[in-house]
Amino acid sequence: MSTTSSLLLALLGDARLPSGGHTQSAGLEPALRAGTPSAQAPAYLRARLRTVTRVEAGAAVVARAVAADDGDLAEVEAAWAARTPSQALRANGRRLGRGYLRVLQTLWPGPVDTRARTWSRPVVLGLLAHRAGMGPADLARLVGYDDVQTVTAALLKLEPQDPLLIAAWVKDLLPDIDEMATQVAHLHTTEQIPAQGAPLIERWAETHDTTTERLFSA
Amino acid sequence: MPENTTAPTRAMRLGVAGPVGTGKSSLIATLCRALSGELRLGVITNDIYTDEDARYLKSAGVLDPERIRPVETGACPHTAIRDDVTANLLAAEDLEADFGSLDLVIIESGGDNLTATFSPALVDAQLFVLDVAGGGDVVRKGGPGIARADLLVINKTDLGPYVGVDVERMAREGREARRGGSVVALSRHDEESIRMLTGWVRDTLARYRAGDHTPVDPGPMAPHSHADRDGKGGHTHTHADSATHTHDQAPAHAGPSA
Ligand SMILES: Nc1nc2c(ncn2[C@@H]2O[C@H](COP(=O)(O)OP(=O)(O)O)[C@@H](O)[C@H]2O)c(=O)[nH]1
Ligand SMILES: [Mg+2]
Repeated sequence: MSTTSSLLLALLGDARLPSGGHTQSAGLEPALRAGTPSAQAPAYLRARLRTVTRVEAGAAVVARAVAADDGDLAEVEAAWAARTPSQALRANGRRLGRGYLRVLQTLWPGPVDTRARTWSRPVVLGLLAHRAGMGPADLARLVGYDDVQTVTAALLKLEPQDPLLIAAWVKDLLPDIDEMATQVAHLHTTEQIPAQGAPLIERWAETHDTTTERLFSA
Repeated sequence: MPENTTAPTRAMRLGVAGPVGTGKSSLIATLCRALSGELRLGVITNDIYTDEDARYLKSAGVLDPERIRPVETGACPHTAIRDDVTANLLAAEDLEADFGSLDLVIIESGGDNLTATFSPALVDAQLFVLDVAGGGDVVRKGGPGIARADLLVINKTDLGPYVGVDVERMAREGREARRGGSVVALSRHDEESIRMLTGWVRDTLARYRAGDHTPVDPGPMAPHSHADRDGKGGHTHTHADSATHTHDQAPAHAGPSA
């Protein structure tokens, strides 16, 4: 039985989904350590939505289209990796991919390419969206929304403050997520995957990878 | 989850839970020291704020440091061993992939509190560690780990005389709280007690390999039972605060089976 794309978005965007999300700060922990004031978290998130998160969402949407055409997802993986210069972020993205692969194999069982265990989150999410019947715009929204919630949830652990205030930040960012999703929802081929970078975020990710006494993996 | 009728192909995963400071890391160091000659081991630590545990174990020199992996829990040690075990499962898989096959992967929980126990989605067996310095009455307070972990360890028995705790009695009350379940009174200064611990691990591993071991979920909360006057047919329920207590009289509210 199939359901609506919007309910799938709710299911997959829920922090309670056991896919390993609680280990993530979407780069916030090293950003704060590097001196970013917590009040700038919304600006940090907007910067991500225009760069790394847009790449992630674009790769997921393309992976979904490629999976639907029975194409080779390894090519999408390579395109994503080429657009993700930080080795630490690539490794983390692939760990997250394995988490979502568990979700895929348990919730939507079926044959999966043996190389899928080495694929990053956007590629696995694209495959999952295809299998589950989730539309491309909702898939892109999921990637954007998950990024926003990851940063804000981590902020509550790293610099505790009123959770409702933080929820208001998330609400204010929803139009930015929609905008990003609209920009990538129509993409079909690997060449179309956006290639914006965020050198500071990538550098912080590298530093974080060798930092001890951290709360979050990345 | 392995079917308990077929022999498993992967290493047994043993969880070590219990409050902070009760001696989980030390116990793991003791196990590594005693067993690394005969078993291929891996260790995963779940750290709350630091990778202190992993660093301690690496510096203890009891195991190749590469076989000790810290996992970040995003300040949610409870979540990492129960509600979302993904990070720990991946770390266990990686350890086995990196070192060929292993016999035993020991996972230390970020010491949270009396209610944190491992989900069987992550571990095959678990032990729960208390120490005598926490006071003799902790076992009576109960909790899922104390009551239903595969093994209860009452640690640092060498400190009993200094903290005014009757170790024998604490162990006996532990057995009572567990309805006869296994208890080991341990001190790293007492070789005999270490042999009891390693013996339990070997036995459990043998049963796991033979397909005779069924993982048990101690549960996130502490059920307690209101026994009938003849001591049979009581009912079990949980309290939101996870407290366990004894009722001297029959409960005022009727349970389904009372
Ligand atoms: N006296 C005594 N101290 C112990 C024993 N085991 C551990 N400790 C000490 O208890 C403290 C906490 O131990 P640790 O293993 O870090 O506890 P964890 O937080 O549960 O991992 C340390 O200072 C250990 O040296 C024991 O058998 N006897
Ligand atoms: Mg410890």
